[in-house]
Amino acid sequence: MNTVRFYGHTPPGAGEEPTPGRLIVLEGTDGVGRSTQIAMLQEWLEAEGYAVLVTGFRRSTLAATGIDRAMRGNTLDALTLNLFYATDFWDRLEKNIVPALRTGMVALVDRYIFSIIARARVRGVPARWLNDVFEFAVVPDRVLYLDVDVEHLLPRVLSVRQLDHWESGEDFQRGPDLHDNFIRYQGALINEFRNLAREHNFVTVDARGSVGDVFQALQAEVRDALAGMGAG
Amino acid sequence: MTTLQSRPAPGYKMGERYGQHPDDGEYPGTLIIVEGIDGSGKSTQIDLLCKWLNSRNLVTVFTEWNSSPIVRRTTKRGKQEELLTPMSFSLIHAADFASRVHAQILPALRAGAVVLADRYVYTAFARDSARGVNRDWLRRIYSFAVQPSLGLYFKVPLDVSIHRINTGREELGYYESGQDMGFSDDREESFRVFQGKLLDEYDAMTEEFGLMTIDATQPIAVQQQQVRRYVEPLIADAITVRGQSVPEALSRAGLSGRYITAPMSRRLTATELSDL
Repeated sequence: MNTVRFYGHTPPGAGEEPTPGRLIVLEGTDGVGRSTQIAMLQEWLEAEGYAVLVTGFRRSTLAATGIDRAMRGNTLDALTLNLFYATDFWDRLEKNIVPALRTGMVALVDRYIFSIIARARVRGVPARWLNDVFEFAVVPDRVLYLDVDVEHLLPRVLSVRQLDHWESGEDFQRGPDLHDNFIRYQGALINEFRNLAREHNFVTVDARGSVGDVFQALQAEVRDALAGMGAG
Repeated sequence: MTTLQSRPAPGYKMGERYGQHPDDGEYPGTLIIVEGIDGSGKSTQIDLLCKWLNSRNLVTVFTEWNSSPIVRRTTKRGKQEELLTPMSFSLIHAADFASRVHAQILPALRAGAVVLADRYVYTAFARDSARGVNRDWLRRIYSFAVQPSLGLYFKVPLDVSIHRINTGREELGYYESGQDMGFSDDREESFRVFQGKLLDEYDAMTEEFGLMTIDATQPIAVQQQQVRRYVEPLIADAITVRGQSVPEALSRAGLSGRYITAPMSRRLTATELSDL
């Protein structure tokens, strides 16, 4: 039987009881198509008979509203935002993810600690400190990383909506050109994701393909990660 | 000139240091912090210290634990609805502290002000450790904290602090008394157990971080004399503001100030300081 493993020390509250479930994480930059794939994976897994928990950024009972409010202001610095995210993440880990794993569910997480770390690194927060903060995180059974270069990302985002202030890194970059800021920021962010992919053994999936191609690649990985759970 | 570090201070007992933090460097200001359990009288002492510094026209910035305008509401809600667990309690307070370091403490120290902090990272170390949070991890996540020029620990026996709280303050809170930890169903008994653990943590930290211990059972005025003796040598180069006294200006002009609604004397905010 599995038990949860942590990146560092075992934090109080998450315990070491058996966890028959699986933790599957989807990572990737803004607009890469994560939420579409998560929705398709959930539908597929439930059809196969798995109980699924879906969770993602800023969805905790404790901190979600506070983060939204803080991001509307203009005094939010990188360390504070990072610790706010850490609070949100822990609240979901302790109250949603770990309990789901204990009851044998598949937890599908749309962005894990790596999105938080990548964004903070780009903003100059020391990598070592970030690793320290998030050492209370559970090591996922699989991290699936949707990789795309910024040249392919931009048209995809533009076809859906306008460019966003935070997704263009305008909280810390200078310059009046939203397009340039987006390119520069997302380029740096993707670079950090690729560093993290090497550091933490992500399974990289080329996200430039069609939705169907990407989904098939993800399905194969998820099926493999769920081996031995007794369904499907 | 005090060297302030956002890297771990020598007392942090860590094997490795972090890379240069953007806020690292030398700053002319002075950071004075007070610590102690609830009912130790530290807030009274720092208030008296603040008034003394103000009376000498020193630019003084006061910062309180758990008071960041962008984080505090989340903490408050978490406490009211009892949503906080040891780790989320720890993380949300770290967020509050980070926000105050960035927006309040560092700008003031850069400007050369005296910064007074009612509770500092040691409060987090004591409370969170007493809740079972990893001690080493706490020291690492708070490594961005500025090393204080002076740390004062107001040491008081449990019976004295409980007596003071029972006679002078509002009711004990759920988290203040450590009831989230299930020490006891009885709030006062839980408070006693929890605060006893905090005293042990503080005792260990006075040596670890070089905090100066003040016997907080002494008369208030005697303690304040000790505090001022510690502070006096640190404020020789602190910046001053002239002509901040409204009453003095009024009396010099022979006016009563009947249209003045603002407080007659107050501390400068961090924003006003940066405009100096």
